Amino acid sequence: MSRSTASELSRRDLLRLSWAGLLGASTLPWLEAMANETPAVPARKRSCILLWMNGGPSQLDTFDLKPGHANGGPYKEIATSVPGIKISEHLPKIAGMAEHLAIIRSMNTKEGDHGRATYLLRNGYLPQPPVRYPTLGSLVAKELGDPQAELPNFVSISPYRNLNPAAFSPGFLGSQFAPLFVGEARGRNAQDDDNYDLSVADLEAPKGVNLDTVSARLGLLNSLNDRFIGNHAGAPAVGYKTAYERAVVLMRSKAAKGFDLDEEPAAVRDAYGRNRFGQGCLLARRLVERGVPFVEVTHAGAGGLGWDTHADNFDAVRDLSKTLDPAWATLMSELKSRGLLDSTLIVWMGEFGRTPKINDNRGRDHYPNAWSTVLAGGGVRGGQVVGRTSPDGTTVEERPVSVPDLLATVVKALGVDPMKQNVSNVGRPIRLVDPAAKPIAEILG
Amino acid sequence: MYSPSNGSNQARFGRKALIAIILTISLVGSAFWAATPSLQAAEQCAPAAASAAGILDVHELTARIDQALATAWAAGNVEPAAPADDAEYLRRIYLDLIGKIPSVADLQAFLASSQPDKRARVVEELLRRGAHSQHFANTWRGLMLAGAPENIEANILIPQFETWLRLRFAINTPYDRLVTELLTASIDPTPQGVVANQRRFVPSPAAFFQANEQKPEQIAASTTRIFLGVQVQCAQCHDHPFSHWTRREFWSLAAFFDRAPLPGMPETKPKSGTANAILIPETQIVVEPAFLDGSQPDWESGSNKRELLSRWITQTDNPFFARAAVNRLWDHFLGRGFVHPVDDLDKANPPSHPELLDELAQQFALHHFNLNHLIRAITSTRAYQLSSRTSGGGEDDLAKFARMPLRRMTADQLFASIVQATGFREAMPAARRGVLADTTSAAAEFRNRFADQSVPRTEAETSILQALSLMNGKLVSDATDLEKSETLVAVAEAPFLKNHERVEALFMAALSRPPAVDEVSQFVDYVERSGPGQESKKALADVFWALLNSAEFALNH
Repeated sequence: MSRSTASELSRRDLLRLSWAGLLGASTLPWLEAMANETPAVPARKRSCILLWMNGGPSQLDTFDLKPGHANGGPYKEIATSVPGIKISEHLPKIAGMAEHLAIIRSMNTKEGDHGRATYLLRNGYLPQPPVRYPTLGSLVAKELGDPQAELPNFVSISPYRNLNPAAFSPGFLGSQFAPLFVGEARGRNAQDDDNYDLSVADLEAPKGVNLDTVSARLGLLNSLNDRFIGNHAGAPAVGYKTAYERAVVLMRSKAAKGFDLDEEPAAVRDAYGRNRFGQGCLLARRLVERGVPFVEVTHAGAGGLGWDTHADNFDAVRDLSKTLDPAWATLMSELKSRGLLDSTLIVWMGEFGRTPKINDNRGRDHYPNAWSTVLAGGGVRGGQVVGRTSPDGTTVEERPVSVPDLLATVVKALGVDPMKQNVSNVGRPIRLVDPAAKPIAEILG
Repeated sequence: MYSPSNGSNQARFGRKALIAIILTISLVGSAFWAATPSLQAAEQCAPAAASAAGILDVHELTARIDQALATAWAAGNVEPAAPADDAEYLRRIYLDLIGKIPSVADLQAFLASSQPDKRARVVEELLRRGAHSQHFANTWRGLMLAGAPENIEANILIPQFETWLRLRFAINTPYDRLVTELLTASIDPTPQGVVANQRRFVPSPAAFFQANEQKPEQIAASTTRIFLGVQVQCAQCHDHPFSHWTRREFWSLAAFFDRAPLPGMPETKPKSGTANAILIPETQIVVEPAFLDGSQPDWESGSNKRELLSRWITQTDNPFFARAAVNRLWDHFLGRGFVHPVDDLDKANPPSHPELLDELAQQFALHHFNLNHLIRAITSTRAYQLSSRTSGGGEDDLAKFARMPLRRMTADQLFASIVQATGFREAMPAARRGVLADTTSAAAEFRNRFADQSVPRTEAETSILQALSLMNGKLVSDATDLEKSETLVAVAEAPFLKNHERVEALFMAALSRPPAVDEVSQFVDYVERSGPGQESKKALADVFWALLNSAEFALNH
């Protein structure tokens, strides 16, 4: 397989050239240093992990139970680590960490359609073409991300984008703030719990192409690109070159080992749960440790719309809780033991809640009127419940929270001003969060 | 006339190399999009008396554009870029008209031709290809169905929508006719109706309504934005903050799409008065249908509300309709509209060349909204045929059209170009036969990875995953695999070729140009230093890989 000495030499030359071209030769030691030094950077910035419950999770069977009422269903409430706060019996591990949770029981939104509600919750505005609002992760990546980082500043694990692809898009911020998608399955196997792969697609050179060849090829590519870009000014060329540089950095990066879950002890992997969502949460922890400011993990169940429990709600939510509970609880306890929980905000939400009234199929339908979300960890005063719904669960009786209110709280908890503006694709400045937003003061503490 | 250095390149370029590569690629290239039947005969473009009544023929219209832009250059002290050479021009016109780079055979024939009007001829030839209607259908499908939240029902209808568009572009359907057909489409919005329609696979623009969720306010907002360049959607909830549209005006327009159509039934003849009124949500205000200029429809003259509206939209004296179309087409070919962003023709957002835009719009209407007439004129202009090379003459302002800007390709353009360059073949997936939405083919996979809704294409948008996909993904890996790649095997295995001919062939296939002298020496040196036999073939694979991954390949320039 090895080539002649002459070719080896030329390849080595090209390797050197390619690195000089891509990164500047002098940056190499710095890169090495950075790759070795992972956690515990002093005064580290905050990170956010969004646990996205695709399809709309039932508030009545998770965080706002109505025992004794006809709408309540069969689940029991259990006590948590915070006196007075009770949640579903199927979330026992989370219940043990309630001192970190701020449970918002008074979400009051207006959109009951999956596609539009997904966009509203994830992008903060209703779809209004041609404005391409960015998804939350892209907004945060822009504010907190390091443009020079080896890892992307926004990673989306196991996304289910079919409901609304634009809700996973960087919109007018552009692809430099686009999420790196891992574990995106399509077709029939979408979100299959036993058949998933959370590695970065095409991160490795194809079989039969060794590292020398890769370097030699990059050398040729660089000379072509330098020549072309040198006499063709324009944003697309610069963007193209930047994307390649970042891709090559990622290919070579030690930090990319963050995606290698095999590095984790079996016991840790077991604790998260050997399923798509559990391992996704483990990956989120590994990425946050390596400085990624925004990671989202989609929990969608088999078929992708697991939380959309129009029928047999109670069996379905019990099963979903079984994967949700250990994964989320282990994530928080591991972040805590590493000293990262105070700087990592965890957001648990879907696009809407479910109808309090149980339908004829023992299911619950879409319900934006009164539902729950949870914030935990960094920047959040835990151990509290915000707002209250009526005894039948149909209306918010105390402290209604809108989507802008929620997202402004999230952004603020991350240390960013929600009223900051970006210039949109239609030339108008647009704030990170709708200016009508009122951040929830009692959570931000 | 500018004379590029193609003569010497051509002489240097080995005939044998061409033979090898033409054999492989021309077959694949021409088979990729099945040609449509010769519906072209139906196209009658020039009005009977072209010289009469201020109607300009293609030549005159081109001259008018050239003159207007040159005047602006002189006034702004701008030195335009050099003219594009034949290779640069051919690659560009192929990408803009048929959505993929030229085959080596086409490129070579064009470079060899000494016909003085060969550029105009190639435009005629491409307009007649099935790939042209396919490319325009892809492009306009993206515009017409963009932004609206994706939903499953609309998704199912996309193949029918695309086919409908393709058939219209294939016969150069007048643009007003095309928009009228779309706005007055017979549609059944019930789930049963959608499924039945899908099963029949009748080409239809129904997806437009489905993509707007059959909601009058969304259909109205999309209609005015796409076909009039008027942004009224903010007025949906409040009076427009940046313009003069009021909420009442918005809902008066939306009223044309209210309760239309009734499920499974033809619409009844509309009546004047409150029968057609719509309630503005969360208010007590009821408004009747009215056009954006405030005028009322003549209720006796149409068979349904949407017909009355489409007639108002497409009438020749509508100040927005022709201008919006011209602006869009200019943007398609020049990378930027006279008005930018392309669909915001508001007073507050004036055009870069107002008189020129008005004149083009007027001519477009006088020519009965003949798209190909406009395409012929635009592609003949000096501006369209300028090089994309930087020359430092103050030509970098995109709004001056003094240099061709770099443009990202769409996912479809990039995929089709890789196929063209490499000879990649894939069994036709079920979706292409219209059975199911295509989600599993290499094309769909690629489209998904490279899809972005973003306009303008002159902005930076490449993602890390896209770069990884081009570097390491299956499509390019196979294309650079000595056992699987049609083009590479043809070039590497042909015994009668010298290394410089092999390098040249790969440049022609990927970059649609011969290599420069120093590129020849650099790449031949690379191949020859790698060693004999298999090693040099591997080195050729490296060269092809680098070419396919280059910015020059991936961008339209």
